Amino acid sequence: MCAQPVTNTKEVKWQKVLYERQPFPDNYVDRRFLEELRKNIHARKYQYWAVVFESSVVIQQLCSVCVFVVIWWYMDEGLLAPHWLFGTGLASSLIGYVLFDLIDGGEGRKKSGQTRWADLKSALVFITFTYGFSPVLKTLTESVSTDTIYAMSVFMLLGHLIFFDYGANAAIVSSTLSLNMAIFASVCLASRLPRSLHAFIMVTFAIQIFALWPMLQKKLKACTPRSYVGVTLLFAFSALGGLLSISAVGAILFALLLMSISCLCPFYLIRLQLFKENIHGPWDEAEIKEDLSRFLS
Amino acid sequence: MARRGGAGDGHRASATLSRVSPGSLYTCRTHTHNICMVSDFFYPNMGGVESHIYQLSQCLIERGHKVIIVTHAYGNRKGIRYLTNGLKVYYLPLKVMYNQSTATTLFHSLPLLRYIFVRERVTIIHSHSSFSAMAHDALFHAKTMGLQTVFTDHSLFGFADVSSVLTNKLLTVSLCDTNHIICVSYTSKENTVLRAALNPEIVSVIPNAVDPTDFTPDPFRRHDSITIVVVSRLVYRKGIDLLSGIIPELCQKYPDLNFIIGGEGPKRIVLEEVRERYQLHDRVRLLGALEHKDVRNVLVQGHIFLNTSLTEAFCMAIVEAASCGLQVVSTRVGGIPEVLPENLIILCEPSVKSLCEGLERAIFQLKSGTLPAPENIHNIVKTFYTWRNVAERTEKVYDRVSVEAVLPMDKRLDRLISHCGPVTGYIFALLAVFNFLFLIFLRWMTPDSIIDVAVDATGPRSAWTNNCSHSKRGSENNEISETR
Repeated sequence: MCAQPVTNTKEVKWQKVLYERQPFPDNYVDRRFLEELRKNIHARKYQYWAVVFESSVVIQQLCSVCVFVVIWWYMDEGLLAPHWLFGTGLASSLIGYVLFDLIDGGEGRKKSGQTRWADLKSALVFITFTYGFSPVLKTLTESVSTDTIYAMSVFMLLGHLIFFDYGANAAIVSSTLSLNMAIFASVCLASRLPRSLHAFIMVTFAIQIFALWPMLQKKLKACTPRSYVGVTLLFAFSALGGLLSISAVGAILFALLLMSISCLCPFYLIRLQLFKENIHGPWDEAEIKEDLSRFLS
Repeated sequence: MARRGGAGDGHRASATLSRVSPGSLYTCRTHTHNICMVSDFFYPNMGGVESHIYQLSQCLIERGHKVIIVTHAYGNRKGIRYLTNGLKVYYLPLKVMYNQSTATTLFHSLPLLRYIFVRERVTIIHSHSSFSAMAHDALFHAKTMGLQTVFTDHSLFGFADVSSVLTNKLLTVSLCDTNHIICVSYTSKENTVLRAALNPEIVSVIPNAVDPTDFTPDPFRRHDSITIVVVSRLVYRKGIDLLSGIIPELCQKYPDLNFIIGGEGPKRIVLEEVRERYQLHDRVRLLGALEHKDVRNVLVQGHIFLNTSLTEAFCMAIVEAASCGLQVVSTRVGGIPEVLPENLIILCEPSVKSLCEGLERAIFQLKSGTLPAPENIHNIVKTFYTWRNVAERTEKVYDRVSVEAVLPMDKRLDRLISHCGPVTGYIFALLAVFNFLFLIFLRWMTPDSIIDVAVDATGPRSAWTNNCSHSKRGSENNEISETR
């Protein structure tokens, strides 16, 4: 096939068409071969500080877990009175509730159509039911060994961190599963507390920190990024402080973890972009960019 | 028995090719090959790869080569069958895993394939389709046995997702020591060269073909009102979602416009919803699955052919439609821009807006009468792609491959290790060694010398023509003795 005489290559230009018999062998490679190859057209340029800012979501969630465990430890040791925690939690929840509406001027509420009366109702229903069932929660896991409970809580909290919706569009993300795992962990841990009042308050606190607090954070991050950074720093330091009062080594390790996530990981992300080689060309499957559901609604 | 089954399978091809008396051309040739086509996809399964293998084999037989086909068993179709002109097909009893592709262990098919390669005295293994596990297995074994290998890639693949990263790696392994690769379009060649990290010199571009005598225009069967025809499987990759946007848009604008949609698939429900929602039952006809022989009868009813594919290596459908004299409107994806000249096709971006504009242009031309007559379009298109031309060009690939040296075992291991990356390379080098040892074991169990040589049905010493001319019984006896 190579032996085929290529007589008038100079005059005849090769065309990228199949319907014409061209005076070139079938395995001819033209200069235009792969000319439509594009690299990294969808690659994003990352700014270091922007990535650091985005990493704060992960920091916040790690700190939430840390604070939750620290509070549980204090309760377990009898150093923290349940009334006091309930009071503080209630107060901060009210402040957060007011803030939640103040930040965006009540726009989110208008959009969702949720009334304050409905909020109050669901809060009341939740508190009543948790209070009513707290003796059950307390005795639910009595037959299970404490070591199993601890192991299970660790796995559930890890699962909570893995499946949490950090804003990435991935298949693994499931905020429902994440929240459920956190609540399961809290029920497990609460059942090891001295009294059923403790268990009730622990579960309430878990709801506050794992369900309500991320909602407020999200809004803070979207509307007032500056205050969000401040809140994150404050939260991280309080979590570290709490941990320090229990274990110095733990606090140091936790601080290192936070540092590496917020500073080292963004650095690596940007460095590794240099090695990115994403190939695009006419062979790619075309994407339908329009919203076609409008034709069916 | 075998002949009847064969004629049923190759219905459309046999009709045209049986006109050529086998063996009329090969007398002038000096160099013939014993070719074995291997793919998971063959009749009774229907599709582009299947008809490609069949038509190519028929034309190669016509040129005097010996051709056999190896595929897996389809239901109770197993053993050996003869199709038109003595094309022998082995339906091997291998387990189908997914989408008609067999499961692969890289080893289990060696005894069977080796037996066939030896008894048929095969010199060139020609595998088809990168989706076929059996094709890759055959390549692997053929290289171990020191046979020449050719591979035809029929599809395009992306690079972005995890599954394509894995399959591309396997393709690299499979093709790194294959003698020659054939692609169906230049875009497909670029894609394959990138996917398998190949030297572009060993990749030839030989397009698919259609049988122009099967796709002739018939202007009298056209509807009075303007009709747009779509013939494709109703799946996401064929852009059926785009079609569901085009239908209401254009039907509202042109009250005399009709759609005929042939094909079946999971996206049919979307089209049915659209038809329901806009009350278009009398204007949008969904025909369901079409047999290949009915495609022409559907095509000739329309004026405009619409193809909304999101990816396509060659796209036979638009050539078939143009051959029937329809104006083609298609998305500009994959190899489609290479297939038809600009005056026969309107290329659009893959969006509802762009496709509607393209269709409106076609409708305007149709109404103003500036479109060429169907007969003229047919006469232009029929010169473009013929199977005889494909066979001629494929033959050149065989000629070139047959004088090349097959890599000996040590060089093959070196190639695998140097070409496929440190981890994959070593793993597959190890597997190649195991395969080689397995082959030695098989040769010790049943030496090549005691394997019967099959009677050639096709090729230079073709027994088929004699048998055929005497009686059909002869061929049946032949088949019975073969299967035993």
